[in-house]
Amino acid sequence: MDWIFLSELAINGALTGLLYSLFAIGLVLIYKASSVPNLAQGGLTMVGAYVVLALSHDAGLPLWLAIPLAAVIMFGLGFGIERVALRRLAGRPVVMILMMTLGLDIFLRGTTLAIWGGTSRSMELGVSYDPLFLGDIFVSRIHLVGAGVAIGLFVAFMLFFRSRTGIKLRAIADDYMASWSVGISVERGVGLSWALASVVAVAAGVIWGEIQGVDQALSLLLLKGLTVAVLGGLDSILGAVVAGIILGIIENVGSDFLDPLVGGGSRELIVAAVLILTVMIRPHGLFGRHDIERV
Amino acid sequence: MQEKVKAQPILSMNSVEVLYDNVMLAIKGVSVQVPKGEMIALLGSNGAGKSTTLKAISGLLKAERGRVSRGEIKFEGTDMTGMLAQNRVDMGICHVIEGRRVFEHLTPDENLTAAAPTGMSRSVLSAEKEKIYAYFPRLAERRNSLSGYLSGGEQQMLAIGRALVTQPKLLMLDEPSLGLAPFLVAEIFGILKKINEEEGMSVLLVEQNALAALEIVSEGYLIENGRVVMNGTAEALKSNSDIQEFYLGGGEGTDFHNVKHYSRRKRWLS
Repeated sequence: MDWIFLSELAINGALTGLLYSLFAIGLVLIYKASSVPNLAQGGLTMVGAYVVLALSHDAGLPLWLAIPLAAVIMFGLGFGIERVALRRLAGRPVVMILMMTLGLDIFLRGTTLAIWGGTSRSMELGVSYDPLFLGDIFVSRIHLVGAGVAIGLFVAFMLFFRSRTGIKLRAIADDYMASWSVGISVERGVGLSWALASVVAVAAGVIWGEIQGVDQALSLLLLKGLTVAVLGGLDSILGAVVAGIILGIIENVGSDFLDPLVGGGSRELIVAAVLILTVMIRPHGLFGRHDIERV
Repeated sequence: MQEKVKAQPILSMNSVEVLYDNVMLAIKGVSVQVPKGEMIALLGSNGAGKSTTLKAISGLLKAERGRVSRGEIKFEGTDMTGMLAQNRVDMGICHVIEGRRVFEHLTPDENLTAAAPTGMSRSVLSAEKEKIYAYFPRLAERRNSLSGYLSGGEQQMLAIGRALVTQPKLLMLDEPSLGLAPFLVAEIFGILKKINEEEGMSVLLVEQNALAALEIVSEGYLIENGRVVMNGTAEALKSNSDIQEFYLGGGEGTDFHNVKHYSRRKRWLS
Protein backbone atom coordinates (compact mmCIF):
# COMPACT_ATOMS: atom_id res chain seq x y z
CA MET A 1 0.00 0.00 0.00
CA ASP A 2 1.23 3.39 -0.94
CA TRP A 3 1.19 5.70 2.07
CA ILE A 4 0.78 8.82 0.04
CA PHE A 5 -2.19 7.35 -1.74
CA LEU A 6 -3.70 6.25 1.57
CA SER A 7 -3.30 9.68 3.12
CA GLU A 8 -4.75 11.25 0.02
CA LEU A 9 -7.79 9.01 0.39
CA ALA A 10 -8.03 9.87 4.07
CA ILE A 11 -7.69 13.62 3.59
CA ASN A 12 -10.18 13.78 0.78
CA GLY A 13 -12.47 11.53 2.78
CA ALA A 14 -12.21 13.88 5.73
CA LEU A 15 -13.00 16.88 3.52
CA THR A 16 -16.04 15.15 2.04
CA GLY A 17 -16.97 14.15 5.57
CA LEU A 18 -16.90 17.78 6.64
CA LEU A 19 -19.35 18.49 3.85
CA TYR A 20 -21.64 15.85 5.37
CA SER A 21 -21.13 17.67 8.66
CA LEU A 22 -22.17 20.90 6.98
CA PHE A 23 -25.46 19.21 6.20
CA ALA A 24 -25.74 17.46 9.55
CA ILE A 25 -25.31 20.70 11.52
CA GLY A 26 -28.76 21.70 10.29
CA LEU A 27 -30.24 18.47 11.63
CA VAL A 28 -28.52 18.93 14.97
CA LEU A 29 -29.73 22.52 15.30
CA ILE A 30 -33.36 21.47 15.12
CA TYR A 31 -32.85 18.43 17.32
CA LYS A 32 -31.04 20.49 19.92
CA ALA A 33 -33.87 22.98 20.12
CA SER A 34 -36.91 20.76 19.87
CA SER A 35 -35.86 17.11 20.19
CA VAL A 36 -37.25 16.36 16.74
CA PRO A 37 -35.14 14.73 14.02
CA ASN A 38 -35.90 16.83 10.97
CA LEU A 39 -36.42 14.57 7.97
CA ALA A 40 -37.05 17.62 5.79
CA GLN A 41 -33.47 18.87 6.04
CA GLY A 42 -32.67 17.31 2.65
CA GLY A 43 -35.61 19.09 1.11
CA LEU A 44 -34.55 22.36 2.70
CA THR A 45 -31.02 21.99 1.36
CA MET A 46 -32.37 21.40 -2.11
CA VAL A 47 -34.69 24.41 -1.88
CA GLY A 48 -31.78 26.49 -0.58
CA ALA A 49 -29.77 25.63 -3.67
CA TYR A 50 -32.71 26.37 -5.98
CA VAL A 51 -33.36 29.73 -4.35
CA VAL A 52 -29.72 30.72 -4.86
CA LEU A 53 -29.99 29.64 -8.51
CA ALA A 54 -33.24 31.53 -8.96
CA LEU A 55 -31.68 34.70 -7.60
CA SER A 56 -28.36 34.43 -9.40
CA HIS A 57 -29.11 32.76 -12.74
CA ASP A 58 -32.75 33.63 -13.24
CA ALA A 59 -32.83 37.11 -11.67
CA GLY A 60 -29.27 37.93 -12.65
CA LEU A 61 -27.95 38.94 -9.24
CA PRO A 62 -24.25 38.42 -8.51
CA LEU A 63 -23.51 35.42 -6.31
CA TRP A 64 -22.14 37.44 -3.40
CA LEU A 65 -25.55 39.07 -3.17
CA ALA A 66 -27.67 36.08 -4.15
CA ILE A 67 -26.36 33.79 -1.41
CA PRO A 68 -26.99 36.11 1.57
CA LEU A 69 -30.36 37.06 0.10
CA ALA A 70 -31.24 33.38 -0.23
CA ALA A 71 -30.18 32.91 3.39
CA VAL A 72 -32.59 35.65 4.45
CA ILE A 73 -35.43 34.14 2.40
CA MET A 74 -34.76 30.69 3.82
CA PHE A 75 -34.61 32.12 7.34
CA GLY A 76 -38.13 33.38 6.78
CA LEU A 77 -39.20 30.06 5.28
CA GLY A 78 -37.94 28.26 8.40
CA PHE A 79 -40.09 30.46 10.63
CA GLY A 80 -43.00 29.96 8.23
CA ILE A 81 -42.74 26.18 8.43
CA GLU A 82 -42.95 26.31 12.22
CA ARG A 83 -45.92 28.66 12.12
CA VAL A 84 -47.95 26.78 9.52
CA ALA A 85 -47.00 23.14 9.97
CA LEU A 86 -45.52 22.57 13.39
CA ARG A 87 -47.15 24.92 15.88
CA ARG A 88 -50.35 22.95 16.14
CA LEU A 89 -48.31 19.81 16.79
CA ALA A 90 -46.37 21.22 19.75
CA GLY A 91 -46.70 18.86 22.67
CA ARG A 92 -47.95 15.98 20.51
CA PRO A 93 -46.04 12.70 20.26
CA VAL A 94 -42.72 13.02 18.44
CA VAL A 95 -43.79 10.42 15.91
CA MET A 96 -46.45 12.77 14.52
CA ILE A 97 -43.95 15.59 14.17
CA LEU A 98 -41.53 13.18 12.50
CA MET A 99 -44.16 12.23 9.95
CA MET A 100 -44.87 15.91 9.40
CA THR A 101 -41.22 16.58 8.57
CA LEU A 102 -41.25 13.63 6.16
CA GLY A 103 -44.35 15.09 4.54
CA LEU A 104 -42.60 18.45 4.28
CA ASP A 105 -39.64 16.82 2.56
CA ILE A 106 -41.88 15.24 -0.06
CA PHE A 107 -43.75 18.51 -0.44
CA LEU A 108 -40.56 20.52 -0.98
CA ARG A 109 -39.27 18.03 -3.51
CA GLY A 110 -42.56 18.15 -5.40
CA THR A 111 -42.62 21.94 -5.33
CA THR A 112 -39.14 22.34 -6.82
CA LEU A 113 -40.01 19.77 -9.46
CA ALA A 114 -43.11 21.76 -10.38
CA ILE A 115 -41.36 25.12 -10.49
CA TRP A 116 -37.90 24.36 -11.85
CA GLY A 117 -38.30 20.93 -13.40
CA GLY A 118 -36.06 17.94 -12.86
CA THR A 119 -33.10 18.71 -15.06
CA SER A 120 -29.87 19.09 -13.21
CA ARG A 121 -28.50 22.65 -13.25
CA SER A 122 -25.04 23.76 -12.32
CA MET A 123 -24.29 26.24 -9.56
CA GLU A 124 -21.27 27.88 -11.24
CA LEU A 125 -19.68 29.20 -8.10
CA GLY A 126 -16.52 30.01 -9.98
CA VAL A 127 -14.26 27.92 -7.77
CA SER A 128 -11.42 26.65 -9.92
CA TYR A 129 -11.22 22.95 -10.73
CA ASP A 130 -7.47 23.09 -11.25
CA PRO A 131 -5.82 20.45 -9.10
CA LEU A 132 -4.43 21.75 -5.84
CA PHE A 133 -1.43 19.91 -4.49
CA LEU A 134 -0.59 19.97 -0.80
CA GLY A 135 2.83 18.39 -0.98
CA ASP A 136 2.16 15.26 -2.99
CA ILE A 137 -1.48 15.09 -2.10
CA PHE A 138 -4.18 16.16 -4.48
CA VAL A 139 -7.23 17.86 -2.99
CA SER A 140 -10.31 19.40 -4.51
CA ARG A 141 -10.66 23.15 -4.02
CA ILE A 142 -14.44 23.14 -3.69
CA HIS A 143 -14.21 20.50 -0.99
CA LEU A 144 -11.68 22.65 0.82
CA VAL A 145 -14.00 25.66 0.63
CA GLY A 146 -16.94 23.60 1.85
CA ALA A 147 -14.92 22.20 4.75
CA GLY A 148 -13.97 25.73 5.72
CA VAL A 149 -17.63 26.79 5.69
CA ALA A 150 -18.53 23.77 7.83
CA ILE A 151 -15.90 24.62 10.41
CA GLY A 152 -16.92 28.27 10.41
CA LEU A 153 -20.56 27.34 11.06
CA PHE A 154 -19.46 24.89 13.74
CA VAL A 155 -17.60 27.62 15.65
CA ALA A 156 -20.47 30.07 15.19
CA PHE A 157 -23.05 27.64 16.55
CA MET A 158 -20.87 26.49 19.43
CA LEU A 159 -20.76 30.12 20.55
CA PHE A 160 -24.47 30.57 19.84
CA PHE A 161 -25.49 27.72 22.16
CA ARG A 162 -23.64 29.40 25.00
CA SER A 163 -25.50 32.65 24.50
CA ARG A 164 -28.73 33.36 26.34
CA THR A 165 -30.90 32.61 23.31
CA GLY A 166 -28.96 29.39 22.72
CA ILE A 167 -29.46 28.30 26.32
CA LYS A 168 -33.18 28.95 25.97
CA LEU A 169 -33.28 26.72 22.89
CA ARG A 170 -31.55 23.92 24.80
CA ALA A 171 -34.03 24.40 27.61
CA ILE A 172 -36.91 24.00 25.16
CA ALA A 173 -35.45 20.71 23.92
CA ASP A 174 -35.30 19.52 27.51
CA ASP A 175 -38.85 20.25 28.58
CA TYR A 176 -41.56 22.13 26.67
CA MET A 177 -43.89 22.44 29.66
CA ALA A 178 -41.22 23.76 32.03
CA SER A 179 -40.15 26.23 29.33
CA TRP A 180 -43.67 27.59 29.00
CA SER A 181 -43.92 27.85 32.77
CA VAL A 182 -41.02 30.31 32.97
CA GLY A 183 -42.19 32.35 30.02
CA ILE A 184 -39.95 30.97 27.29
CA SER A 185 -41.75 31.17 23.97
CA VAL A 186 -41.41 27.57 22.83
CA GLU A 187 -43.04 28.40 19.51
CA ARG A 188 -40.59 31.18 18.73
CA GLY A 189 -37.65 29.05 19.85
CA VAL A 190 -38.59 26.14 17.61
CA GLY A 191 -39.20 28.61 14.79
CA LEU A 192 -35.75 30.10 15.29
CA SER A 193 -34.11 26.68 15.18
CA TRP A 194 -35.86 25.92 11.89
CA ALA A 195 -34.86 29.30 10.53
CA LEU A 196 -31.20 28.73 11.44
CA ALA A 197 -31.29 25.20 10.03
CA SER A 198 -32.69 26.66 6.80
CA VAL A 199 -29.77 29.07 6.62
CA VAL A 200 -27.38 26.15 7.10
CA ALA A 201 -29.31 24.44 4.30
CA VAL A 202 -28.42 27.31 1.97
CA ALA A 203 -24.72 26.83 2.73
CA ALA A 204 -24.96 23.07 2.25
CA GLY A 205 -27.09 23.52 -0.87
CA VAL A 206 -24.61 25.88 -2.50
CA ILE A 207 -21.59 23.65 -1.85
CA TRP A 208 -23.28 20.37 -2.69
CA GLY A 209 -25.06 21.97 -5.66
CA GLU A 210 -21.65 22.95 -7.02
CA ILE A 211 -20.32 19.42 -6.49
CA GLN A 212 -23.16 17.29 -7.81
CA GLY A 213 -25.43 19.75 -9.63
CA VAL A 214 -28.73 21.16 -8.45
CA ASP A 215 -31.65 18.77 -8.76
CA GLN A 216 -33.95 16.74 -6.55
CA ALA A 217 -31.13 14.31 -5.76
CA LEU A 218 -29.79 16.94 -3.35
CA SER A 219 -32.50 15.99 -0.88
CA LEU A 220 -31.04 12.47 -0.70
CA LEU A 221 -28.11 13.94 1.22
CA LEU A 222 -30.42 13.39 4.17
CA LEU A 223 -29.33 9.76 4.36
CA LYS A 224 -25.66 10.56 4.85
CA GLY A 225 -26.39 13.62 6.94
CA LEU A 226 -28.62 11.60 9.24
CA THR A 227 -25.93 8.94 9.59
CA VAL A 228 -23.41 11.60 10.58
CA ALA A 229 -25.84 13.24 13.01
CA VAL A 230 -26.73 9.92 14.65
CA LEU A 231 -23.09 8.86 14.91
CA GLY A 232 -22.20 12.22 16.43
CA GLY A 233 -25.12 12.06 18.82
CA LEU A 234 -28.01 14.05 17.25
CA ASP A 235 -27.77 16.95 19.68
CA SER A 236 -24.06 17.61 19.52
CA ILE A 237 -22.62 20.03 16.99
CA LEU A 238 -19.11 18.92 17.86
CA GLY A 239 -20.37 15.37 17.33
CA ALA A 240 -21.63 16.25 13.87
CA VAL A 241 -18.21 17.58 12.87
CA VAL A 242 -16.20 14.72 14.36
CA ALA A 243 -18.61 12.08 13.04
CA GLY A 244 -18.56 13.68 9.61
CA ILE A 245 -14.79 13.40 9.45
CA ILE A 246 -14.88 9.81 10.71
CA LEU A 247 -17.59 8.74 8.28
CA GLY A 248 -15.86 10.48 5.39
CA ILE A 249 -12.57 8.71 6.08
CA ILE A 250 -14.12 5.28 6.67
CA GLU A 251 -16.19 5.64 3.55
CA ASN A 252 -13.37 6.77 1.29
CA VAL A 253 -10.65 4.44 2.54
CA GLY A 254 -13.00 1.51 3.15
CA SER A 255 -14.61 1.67 -0.27
CA ASP A 256 -11.17 1.76 -1.88
CA PHE A 257 -10.38 -1.56 -0.22
CA LEU A 258 -13.80 -3.11 -0.66
CA ASP A 259 -14.79 -1.99 -4.12
CA PRO A 260 -12.40 -4.31 -5.98
CA LEU A 261 -13.64 -7.20 -3.83
CA VAL A 262 -17.38 -6.67 -4.25
CA GLY A 263 -17.29 -5.00 -7.63
CA GLY A 264 -18.23 -1.45 -6.59
CA GLY A 265 -21.01 0.20 -4.64
CA SER A 266 -19.56 -0.44 -1.21
CA ARG A 267 -19.81 3.25 -0.21
CA GLU A 268 -23.52 3.02 0.49
CA LEU A 269 -22.99 -0.23 2.35
CA ILE A 270 -20.40 1.35 4.61
CA VAL A 271 -22.70 4.28 5.39
CA ALA A 272 -25.57 1.92 6.14
CA ALA A 273 -23.35 -0.24 8.34
CA VAL A 274 -22.19 2.79 10.32
CA LEU A 275 -25.78 3.93 10.90
CA ILE A 276 -27.03 0.50 11.91
CA LEU A 277 -24.08 -0.26 14.17
CA THR A 278 -24.32 3.13 15.88
CA VAL A 279 -27.95 2.63 16.72
CA MET A 280 -27.24 -0.90 17.96
CA ILE A 281 -24.09 -0.29 19.96
CA ARG A 282 -24.16 3.35 21.00
CA PRO A 283 -27.62 4.82 20.47
CA HIS A 284 -26.70 8.23 21.89
CA GLY A 285 -23.76 8.50 19.51
CA LEU A 286 -20.28 9.76 20.23
CA PHE A 287 -21.16 12.98 22.03
CA GLY A 288 -24.93 12.85 22.43
CA ARG A 289 -26.64 13.45 25.73
CA HIS A 290 -27.72 10.49 27.78
CA ASP A 291 -31.11 10.31 29.32
CA ILE A 292 -30.44 11.04 32.93
CA GLU A 293 -31.63 8.43 35.35
CA ARG A 294 -30.89 8.98 38.97
CA VAL A 295 -30.67 5.95 41.19
CA MET B 1 -69.54 34.31 57.64
CA GLN B 2 -66.52 36.49 57.92
CA GLU B 3 -66.54 39.48 55.60
CA LYS B 4 -63.10 40.96 55.74
CA VAL B 5 -62.34 44.14 53.93
CA LYS B 6 -58.99 43.76 52.24
CA ALA B 7 -56.86 45.69 49.83
CA GLN B 8 -57.46 44.83 46.19
CA PRO B 9 -56.32 41.27 45.69
CA ILE B 10 -53.38 40.72 43.33
CA LEU B 11 -55.20 37.73 41.89
CA SER B 12 -58.88 37.08 41.81
CA MET B 13 -60.53 34.12 40.23
CA ASN B 14 -64.28 34.17 39.95
CA SER B 15 -66.33 31.02 39.44
CA VAL B 16 -63.89 29.55 36.97
CA GLU B 17 -64.73 26.36 35.13
CA VAL B 18 -62.11 24.38 33.23
CA LEU B 19 -62.85 21.93 30.44
CA TYR B 20 -60.31 19.44 29.13
CA ASP B 21 -60.76 18.24 25.53
CA ASN B 22 -64.10 20.07 25.54
CA VAL B 23 -65.70 17.30 27.55
CA MET B 24 -64.12 16.80 30.95
CA LEU B 25 -65.06 19.36 33.56
CA ALA B 26 -62.06 19.49 35.88
CA ILE B 27 -63.00 22.42 38.10
CA LYS B 28 -66.52 23.62 38.57
CA GLY B 29 -66.74 27.24 39.58
CA VAL B 30 -63.66 27.88 41.69
CA SER B 31 -63.24 31.32 43.24
CA VAL B 32 -59.96 32.17 44.88
CA GLN B 33 -58.56 35.52 45.99
CA VAL B 34 -54.90 36.10 46.70
CA PRO B 35 -54.37 39.36 48.64
CA LYS B 36 -51.19 41.24 47.77
CA GLY B 37 -48.17 40.07 49.73
CA GLU B 38 -49.97 37.16 51.37
CA MET B 39 -49.33 33.44 51.28
CA ILE B 40 -52.37 31.38 50.43
CA ALA B 41 -52.69 27.60 50.30
CA LEU B 42 -54.94 25.44 48.16
CA LEU B 43 -55.46 22.17 49.96
CA GLY B 44 -57.20 19.02 48.90
CA SER B 45 -56.65 15.42 47.99
CA ASN B 46 -55.49 13.87 44.71
CA GLY B 47 -57.46 14.87 41.65
CA ALA B 48 -59.42 17.53 43.49
CA GLY B 49 -58.55 20.17 40.88
CA LYS B 50 -55.75 22.04 42.62
CA SER B 51 -53.22 21.70 39.80
CA THR B 52 -55.86 22.55 37.22
CA THR B 53 -56.62 25.73 39.16
CA LEU B 54 -52.96 26.75 39.01
CA LYS B 55 -52.72 25.94 35.32
CA ALA B 56 -55.80 28.03 34.64
CA ILE B 57 -54.02 30.94 36.30
CA SER B 58 -50.66 30.44 34.60
CA GLY B 59 -52.07 29.67 31.17
CA LEU B 60 -50.47 26.23 30.94
CA LEU B 61 -53.86 24.61 30.36
CA LYS B 62 -53.53 25.17 26.65
CA ALA B 63 -50.62 22.75 26.42
CA GLU B 64 -52.87 20.05 27.81
CA ARG B 65 -55.82 20.92 25.61
CA GLY B 66 -57.76 22.46 28.43
CA ARG B 67 -59.50 25.82 28.52
CA VAL B 68 -61.33 28.11 30.86
CA SER B 69 -64.92 27.71 29.78
CA ARG B 70 -66.53 30.05 32.26
CA GLY B 71 -65.62 32.67 34.80
CA GLU B 72 -62.80 35.17 34.80
CA ILE B 73 -59.28 35.44 36.15
CA LYS B 74 -58.02 38.90 37.01
CA PHE B 75 -54.44 39.78 37.84
CA GLU B 76 -53.95 43.23 39.33
CA GLY B 77 -57.33 44.17 37.95
CA THR B 78 -56.71 43.13 34.31
CA ASP B 79 -58.64 40.23 32.88
CA MET B 80 -56.20 37.66 31.53
CA THR B 81 -58.46 34.71 30.91
CA GLY B 82 -57.40 34.21 27.28
CA MET B 83 -53.78 35.30 27.51
CA LEU B 84 -50.73 33.26 26.46
CA ALA B 85 -48.61 31.72 29.21
CA GLN B 86 -45.54 33.78 28.32
CA ASN B 87 -47.47 37.06 28.57
CA ARG B 88 -48.66 36.08 32.01
CA VAL B 89 -45.07 35.46 33.06
CA ASP B 90 -44.24 38.94 31.75
CA MET B 91 -47.07 40.33 33.87
CA GLY B 92 -45.57 38.71 36.94
CA ILE B 93 -47.11 35.29 37.42
CA CYS B 94 -44.78 32.33 37.61
CA HIS B 95 -45.83 28.74 38.09
CA VAL B 96 -43.47 26.15 39.54
CA ILE B 97 -44.97 23.06 37.97
CA GLU B 98 -45.45 19.76 39.72
CA GLY B 99 -42.62 17.23 39.79
CA ARG B 100 -39.70 19.72 39.94
CA ARG B 101 -39.09 19.65 36.22
CA VAL B 102 -35.73 21.35 35.94
CA PHE B 103 -33.90 21.42 32.61
CA GLU B 104 -31.93 18.27 33.30
CA HIS B 105 -29.28 18.65 30.63
CA LEU B 106 -28.44 22.20 31.66
CA THR B 107 -26.47 23.26 34.70
CA PRO B 108 -28.29 25.08 37.50
CA ASP B 109 -26.65 28.27 36.34
CA GLU B 110 -27.95 27.74 32.80
CA ASN B 111 -31.38 26.87 34.19
CA LEU B 112 -31.51 30.30 35.76
CA THR B 113 -30.23 31.96 32.58
CA ALA B 114 -32.86 30.19 30.50
CA ALA B 115 -35.65 31.66 32.60
CA ALA B 116 -34.35 35.23 32.40
CA PRO B 117 -36.80 37.57 30.66
CA THR B 118 -35.59 38.62 27.20
CA GLY B 119 -35.05 42.23 28.15
CA MET B 120 -33.14 41.59 31.37
CA SER B 121 -29.67 43.12 31.30
CA ARG B 122 -26.61 41.07 32.09
CA SER B 123 -25.90 42.88 35.35
CA VAL B 124 -29.48 42.54 36.61
CA LEU B 125 -29.40 38.85 35.74
CA SER B 126 -26.21 38.19 37.66
CA ALA B 127 -27.50 40.18 40.65
CA GLU B 128 -30.69 38.14 40.49
CA LYS B 129 -28.69 34.91 40.36
CA GLU B 130 -26.60 35.89 43.37
CA LYS B 131 -29.76 36.65 45.30
CA ILE B 132 -31.16 33.23 44.45
CA TYR B 133 -27.90 31.51 45.40
CA ALA B 134 -28.05 33.39 48.68
CA TYR B 135 -31.50 31.96 49.36
CA PHE B 136 -30.39 28.48 48.30
CA PRO B 137 -26.70 28.06 49.20
CA ARG B 138 -26.85 24.37 48.21
CA LEU B 139 -27.47 25.43 44.61
CA ALA B 140 -24.49 27.76 44.62
CA GLU B 141 -22.24 24.84 45.47
CA ARG B 142 -23.48 22.84 42.50
CA ARG B 143 -24.09 25.64 40.04
CA ASN B 144 -21.96 24.05 37.31
CA SER B 145 -22.91 20.39 37.58
CA LEU B 146 -25.67 18.86 35.48
CA SER B 147 -29.10 19.57 36.98
CA GLY B 148 -30.34 16.07 36.24
CA TYR B 149 -27.93 14.74 38.83
CA LEU B 150 -29.02 17.05 41.65
CA SER B 151 -30.90 15.52 44.57
CA GLY B 152 -34.67 15.88 44.75
CA GLY B 153 -34.48 18.71 47.25
CA GLU B 154 -31.88 20.58 45.22
CA GLN B 155 -33.99 20.19 42.09
CA GLN B 156 -37.00 21.63 43.89
CA MET B 157 -34.87 24.55 45.05
CA LEU B 158 -33.66 25.03 41.50
CA ALA B 159 -37.21 24.96 40.18
CA ILE B 160 -38.16 27.67 42.67
CA GLY B 161 -35.01 29.67 41.92
CA ARG B 162 -35.70 29.41 38.21
CA ALA B 163 -39.16 30.85 38.79
CA LEU B 164 -37.70 33.69 40.88
CA VAL B 165 -35.50 34.80 37.95
CA THR B 166 -38.65 35.87 36.13
CA GLN B 167 -39.20 38.34 39.00
CA PRO B 168 -42.77 37.30 39.71
CA LYS B 169 -45.23 39.27 41.78
CA LEU B 170 -47.21 36.10 42.32
CA LEU B 171 -45.36 32.83 42.76
CA MET B 172 -47.42 29.67 42.41
CA LEU B 173 -46.05 26.33 43.56
CA ASP B 174 -47.54 22.94 42.80
CA GLU B 175 -46.73 20.45 45.54
CA PRO B 176 -43.18 21.51 46.30
CA SER B 177 -43.04 19.02 49.18
CA LEU B 178 -43.82 15.98 47.03
CA GLY B 179 -41.41 13.13 47.69
CA LEU B 180 -39.08 15.16 49.89
CA ALA B 181 -37.83 14.32 53.37
CA PRO B 182 -39.57 16.30 56.14
CA PHE B 183 -36.45 18.29 57.01
CA LEU B 184 -36.14 19.39 53.38
CA VAL B 185 -39.80 20.36 53.30
CA ALA B 186 -39.21 22.47 56.39
CA GLU B 187 -36.14 24.05 54.83
CA ILE B 188 -37.87 24.87 51.56
CA PHE B 189 -41.02 26.19 53.23
CA GLY B 190 -38.85 28.30 55.52
CA ILE B 191 -37.15 29.85 52.50
CA LEU B 192 -40.51 30.46 50.83
CA LYS B 193 -41.73 32.27 53.93
CA LYS B 194 -38.55 34.33 53.97
CA ILE B 195 -38.93 35.30 50.30
CA ASN B 196 -42.56 36.18 50.93
CA GLU B 197 -41.65 38.43 53.85
CA GLU B 198 -38.52 40.02 52.42
CA GLU B 199 -39.75 40.72 48.91
CA GLY B 200 -43.45 41.07 49.58
CA MET B 201 -44.03 38.42 46.93
CA SER B 202 -47.51 36.92 46.96
CA VAL B 203 -47.52 33.13 47.06
CA LEU B 204 -50.16 30.62 46.07
CA LEU B 205 -49.20 27.21 47.36
CA VAL B 206 -50.85 23.96 46.33
CA GLU B 207 -50.26 21.21 48.84
CA GLN B 208 -51.46 17.81 49.95
CA ASN B 209 -49.23 18.19 52.96
CA ALA B 210 -51.73 20.39 54.77
CA LEU B 211 -49.87 20.19 58.04
CA ALA B 212 -46.75 21.83 56.64
CA ALA B 213 -48.64 24.28 54.45
CA LEU B 214 -50.89 25.63 57.18
CA GLU B 215 -47.83 26.49 59.25
CA ILE B 216 -46.66 29.15 56.80
CA VAL B 217 -49.75 30.47 55.01
CA SER B 218 -52.18 33.03 56.31
CA GLU B 219 -55.24 31.66 54.61
CA GLY B 220 -56.31 28.44 52.96
CA TYR B 221 -58.86 27.10 50.53
CA LEU B 222 -59.99 23.52 50.58
CA ILE B 223 -60.84 22.07 47.18
CA GLU B 224 -62.72 18.82 46.67
CA ASN B 225 -64.16 17.47 43.41
CA GLY B 226 -63.40 20.68 41.57
CA ARG B 227 -65.13 22.97 44.05
CA VAL B 228 -63.99 25.13 46.90
CA VAL B 229 -65.63 23.59 49.93
CA MET B 230 -64.02 25.58 52.69
CA ASN B 231 -62.10 28.80 53.07
CA GLY B 232 -60.66 30.47 56.12
CA THR B 233 -57.59 31.66 57.93
CA ALA B 234 -54.88 29.13 58.65
CA GLU B 235 -55.79 29.10 62.34
CA ALA B 236 -59.47 28.55 61.60
CA LEU B 237 -58.67 25.69 59.25
CA LYS B 238 -56.23 24.09 61.65
CA SER B 239 -58.81 24.03 64.41
CA ASN B 240 -61.63 22.78 62.20
CA SER B 241 -62.47 19.26 63.22
CA ASP B 242 -63.16 18.02 59.68
CA ILE B 243 -59.85 19.33 58.42
CA GLN B 244 -58.14 17.73 61.37
CA GLU B 245 -59.70 14.40 60.72
CA PHE B 246 -59.29 14.24 56.95
CA TYR B 247 -56.17 16.26 56.24
CA LEU B 248 -54.14 16.60 59.39
CA GLY B 249 -54.34 12.98 60.55
CA GLY B 250 -56.42 13.39 63.64
CA GLY B 251 -55.41 15.84 66.30
CA GLU B 252 -55.92 14.71 69.81
CA GLY B 253 -55.79 11.15 71.08
CA THR B 254 -58.77 8.96 70.33
CA ASP B 255 -60.81 7.17 72.89
CA PHE B 256 -61.21 3.77 71.27
CA HIS B 257 -64.23 2.92 73.41
CA ASN B 258 -66.21 5.58 71.69
CA VAL B 259 -64.80 5.17 68.22
CA LYS B 260 -67.53 5.10 65.59
CA HIS B 261 -67.73 1.87 63.67
CA TYR B 262 -68.45 3.42 60.33
CA SER B 263 -66.22 5.68 58.38
CA ARG B 264 -67.37 9.23 58.35
CA ARG B 265 -68.15 10.77 55.02
CA LYS B 266 -66.91 14.09 53.90
CA ARG B 267 -70.40 15.46 54.28
CA TRP B 268 -69.80 18.45 52.00
CA LEU B 269 -69.47 16.12 49.05
CA SER B 270 -73.07 14.97 48.85
